Amino acid sequence: MPREIITLQVGQCGNQIGMEFWKQLCAEHGINKDGILEDFATQGGDRKDVFFYQADDQHYIPRALLIDLEPRVINGIQNSEYRNLYNHENIFVSDHGGGAGNNWASGYHQGKGVEEDIMDMIDREADGSDSLEGFVLCHSIAGGTGSGMGSYLLETLNDRYSKKLVQTYSVFPNQMETSDVVVQPYNSLLTLKRLTLNADCVVVLDNTALNRIAVERLHLSNPTFAQTNSLVSTVMSASTTTLRYPGYMNNDLVGLLASLIPTPRCHFLMTGYTPLTVERQANVIRKTTVLDVMRRLLQTKNIMVSSYARTKEASQAKYISILNIIQGEVDPTQVHESLQRIRERKLVNFIEWGPASIQVALSRKSPYVQTAHRVSGLMLASHTSIRHLFSKCLSQYEKLRKKQAFLDNYRKFPMFADNDLSEFDESRDIIESLVDEYKACESPDYIKWGMEDPNNILTEEGNAKGTVDPKLAI
Amino acid sequence: MDVRARKREEKEKFGNLSREMEATTSTSCPSTPRWNIDRPFLTGRFHKETKGTSRLADTKGFSMDLFSNGLETPIGYYNASVQELIVIDDLLSALVGIEGRYILIRRVCGKEDQISFQVDASMDLAIQELAKRMFPLCESYLLIDQFVESRSQFKNGLVNHAFAAALKALLLDYQAMVAQLEHQFRLGRLSIQGLWFYCQPVMGSMQALSIVLQKASANNFIGSSVLNLLQSQAKAMAGDNAVRSLLEKMTQCASNAYLSILERWVYEGVIDDPYGEFFIAENKSLQKESLTQDYDAKYWRQRYSLKEGVPSFLANIAGTILTTGKYLNVMRECGHNVQVPASENSKLTIFGSNHHYLECIKAAYDFASSELLNLIIEKYDLMGKLRSIKHYLLLDQGDFLVHFMDIAWDELTKKLDEISVEKLQSLLDLALRTTAAAVDPCHEDLTCCVERSSLLKRLSTLKDLEMRSVSDSNDLDELLNITGLETFSLSYKVEWPLSIVISRKAIAKYQLIFRFLFRCKHVDRQLCGAWQVHQGVRALNMRGTAISRSSLLCRSMLKFINSLLHYLTFEVLEPNWHVMHNRLQTAKSIDEVIQYHDLFLEKCLRECLLLLPELLKKVERLQSLCLQYAAATQWLISSSIDIPKLEENSKSRSSSHMLKMTTENASVTDATLVLGTGWIRTWKCDDGDGGNSSSMVFFCGNGRWRYFQMTSLIMVLILEITLSMQGVNVDSFSLMEGLNQIVEPGVDGELDLVRGDNRHVLQTKRSNDPCLHLSLAMFSKVFLVTTGQPKRPN
Repeated sequence: MPREIITLQVGQCGNQIGMEFWKQLCAEHGINKDGILEDFATQGGDRKDVFFYQADDQHYIPRALLIDLEPRVINGIQNSEYRNLYNHENIFVSDHGGGAGNNWASGYHQGKGVEEDIMDMIDREADGSDSLEGFVLCHSIAGGTGSGMGSYLLETLNDRYSKKLVQTYSVFPNQMETSDVVVQPYNSLLTLKRLTLNADCVVVLDNTALNRIAVERLHLSNPTFAQTNSLVSTVMSASTTTLRYPGYMNNDLVGLLASLIPTPRCHFLMTGYTPLTVERQANVIRKTTVLDVMRRLLQTKNIMVSSYARTKEASQAKYISILNIIQGEVDPTQVHESLQRIRERKLVNFIEWGPASIQVALSRKSPYVQTAHRVSGLMLASHTSIRHLFSKCLSQYEKLRKKQAFLDNYRKFPMFADNDLSEFDESRDIIESLVDEYKACESPDYIKWGMEDPNNILTEEGNAKGTVDPKLAI
Repeated sequence: MDVRARKREEKEKFGNLSREMEATTSTSCPSTPRWNIDRPFLTGRFHKETKGTSRLADTKGFSMDLFSNGLETPIGYYNASVQELIVIDDLLSALVGIEGRYILIRRVCGKEDQISFQVDASMDLAIQELAKRMFPLCESYLLIDQFVESRSQFKNGLVNHAFAAALKALLLDYQAMVAQLEHQFRLGRLSIQGLWFYCQPVMGSMQALSIVLQKASANNFIGSSVLNLLQSQAKAMAGDNAVRSLLEKMTQCASNAYLSILERWVYEGVIDDPYGEFFIAENKSLQKESLTQDYDAKYWRQRYSLKEGVPSFLANIAGTILTTGKYLNVMRECGHNVQVPASENSKLTIFGSNHHYLECIKAAYDFASSELLNLIIEKYDLMGKLRSIKHYLLLDQGDFLVHFMDIAWDELTKKLDEISVEKLQSLLDLALRTTAAAVDPCHEDLTCCVERSSLLKRLSTLKDLEMRSVSDSNDLDELLNITGLETFSLSYKVEWPLSIVISRKAIAKYQLIFRFLFRCKHVDRQLCGAWQVHQGVRALNMRGTAISRSSLLCRSMLKFINSLLHYLTFEVLEPNWHVMHNRLQTAKSIDEVIQYHDLFLEKCLRECLLLLPELLKKVERLQSLCLQYAAATQWLISSSIDIPKLEENSKSRSSSHMLKMTTENASVTDATLVLGTGWIRTWKCDDGDGGNSSSMVFFCGNGRWRYFQMTSLIMVLILEITLSMQGVNVDSFSLMEGLNQIVEPGVDGELDLVRGDNRHVLQTKRSNDPCLHLSLAMFSKVFLVTTGQPKRPN
């Protein structure tokens, strides 16, 4: 089975959204709670094997690893109606079950401790696939397990499977309300470094924005985790439709990501989805056309990353690349028209230093999931305004760091032993340079960015900076 | 009939239409027995010949010695009243073609159909004159009788037989009239004036008929031409009511036979035409199996064809008649014995004047076409087949190709002669089985093939595609350098009867599109590889290095190929398919289906740039540049990474240090990359309206021409650099040549290489084109790199 993808769900949040993701996938492919194909699911044309494999008794098993340091969430899964779906060998809960105490360092350290067990599981899964394409990691960057252990896993995967892609769905903490995790800025920063250096693509799921969307768009006064998680699972499943329902393009993960990610480090994607519904909620059914969907996807209120930019900065923010995955009954003749319209109205502000355009992928909708809308769309975009999210993380970290608060918890672990806080500084530098790079992307001469040449080695005669005599040339 | 004879017959059938008549006479029919010809009384040719040349000479030529042999005394010896009786008696015989004592019937020597009547000169002049008036009638009778006898022979065909039979019936009436006159004569109630009175009504009709017959036999008319003659004659005689109705009746009788042939064809699709009179010819040598190989789909277009000699009353709907039977035949070939439901008034032979037959034919056509359409669309699932072709040949479900390229990579990169098609086929099967295609039962019809020439070459060999041929001299080079990646193609087995719609030609067109898409996919894949290489160096701080700019170049190229693919699929294939799909739902006949399908392919080919060789050549060049870049990048980056990797361990990540370390490659790489950025900028410049650049837009309207023009200019520059980077020696003049080739004829300034002090500078006479200048500036820079021997730091 070619081009398989293995999902790793780490930590409380990771397992929760992972759980929702698999629920959604099962529903879309007509697989029931026990992994058995429903009788009505005979249409075919979908690729279940990317995310599932079949056991000897033909029931489908997700290529998923459930990893946590405390048993609560995983126990919940094991007691849920989906308990028979997962391969029980793929569930890892640490023996002591004490969790990571919202401490990145603890999670990272424990990750190192159980590396062998987990890598065994990963190797087993990898060996079970014909040509593994890559890994998907679901986690949050604020807590202890998802961030710490997730970071450790990212590093290890990068090391051991250097030729494979690593994509993450990373949940960023809600920064609007005071978090119960006081050290969240530390955790976020340290994780962000790994996300920058060790992941090929990070799909940013911003809890702040998810909450806002739930409140504003879905009119839920007090959205629960389950509700925001269902938004996440919608995004996750929609972003994999081109892999699961093959079409003309983007049939493999690398093709999907390569067109979206401009430079190795600027690989943070934000998402938008429309029309949004939450389970069991009667929604006003709107008319959905391709143009409608595309236009809504470009509205900031539908985007699942909150923008902290001030107005002036926001006007300078630019799209680097956009992929719209449109699902449902689409009249293909509308696509071109819609793109043209969007261009005419100048609805999208693209970078100026290179070619950029909205890419569209038309994808089938699952025949087994009934929706009220004819067309739905997901936007995956690389946008420079995402730097404000990182800036926010940085500034929160600075605030905490200035006070030297809560650092003792970290010093207990080997990485920070002997008051060696260079890891923090290094992470800070990397995030800062990331922010700089995104900022440079906004300027038209991004190409020249970083071309300053301290030793002047490139400006001598005959090299790349050789100049043309203007009088002769014109 | 022995084999040789049949072969000869078939050969004759192939011959041009002028020989068609010959061919029909050679159709097997029993010959008239000898005794029939030998006995002149059976053929009406028993009259003696005379040497007289004109009928007017009859009285003068009359001589006593003609009668001297008989016992008779000349009629002049009797008195007038007796003479009248004798003449009436003789005339009554002459009316049915028998010589009397004093009225002789002679055939004019040397002229087949001319007959002269000779009267004894001694006859009373008044009686003579009266008798002479009757001769034309006698003559007509003889002609008709002779015609009936001669046309009843087998070889003259059904129409003539029917016509002769009708004439015979007419003659029977005539003979009855003569018999009645004779009876009157015996009763003594008939004077010669009376005879003349009674004969007059038939005179006109008989004469008109004889004129027709003379024409018919003079031209030896057979089949439809007889009908045409009769009809035109009937129209010509429209003033004479009696004659017209007689001729119409004759027409009707004669066409009955013809219409029953037509009926079988239109209702059953059978050509029941023993004498080759029908206007539809069947070419039995074209087999339906040939449709899957024959590029021109001869079977469909030429198996049944219209001959010359369509009866004028059917001329307008001959085409409909042809297709009706053709459709019925297709169904029979499929094993469905379909017959148009017969009803009371569906008999074609009810030859009403109110064009009843036209309605019948229309009804039969509607039935046949809807039935066939139903058969092909419902039973043979045309749409399913087309959809399946779209999955594979148009990559609508491209996941199998991803897997196939994964596993068949080694085989595809081999030289043309070393590729094993069998191995590719088994790999293709494997890829199909393990991807979404597995559930499609049609996937087994997919086969792979390796063509002998590149896409451009193949296009130029397809003459009928209306594209200007591109002259290429490097045939041999091409054959040597070409790999499976350029020549791989898929093919699709289409069985009868779907091969009517999806003919060999249609498959060939699908293949052309597939090969183009495949090429794009290949480039995309290689660039993704290069992208992944860039991803691999993420951990290094590459700010300001060649790598970071290389990644931007990589992005632009990816963007280019993605835009191209996006254009091809979502803006050409998918909408056109959608339109065709909707049209096919409403199609009324199979010919319409074929037309819509052909139109779809034609449109796709055109919009996929495949009919524009100049443009395609540029795209091809861009693609090959992308490939070269991808290959070079993977090699360059992996070679420049080795050193920094060591560095990483020592945790010193200063960018300048790394730059120095990689300087070996960097100066050349950098040149490429500066160019690359130039490429990006040129792309940008080209966006005339200053909006956000969206490459997609260039593909629509006039913009795309210019876009390709400019990008290819830059790309060629990159190409040369890449070449020089790989150690190929490029001298300045070949560079110039390449550049001048690329610049379109529309650019009026020639490019000049100016040798400045130790520098080569490019010049152009054209000063108002910013893009050109930009690229020239770029070129000059590169040129310095390649020829100026840069001073390299240690």
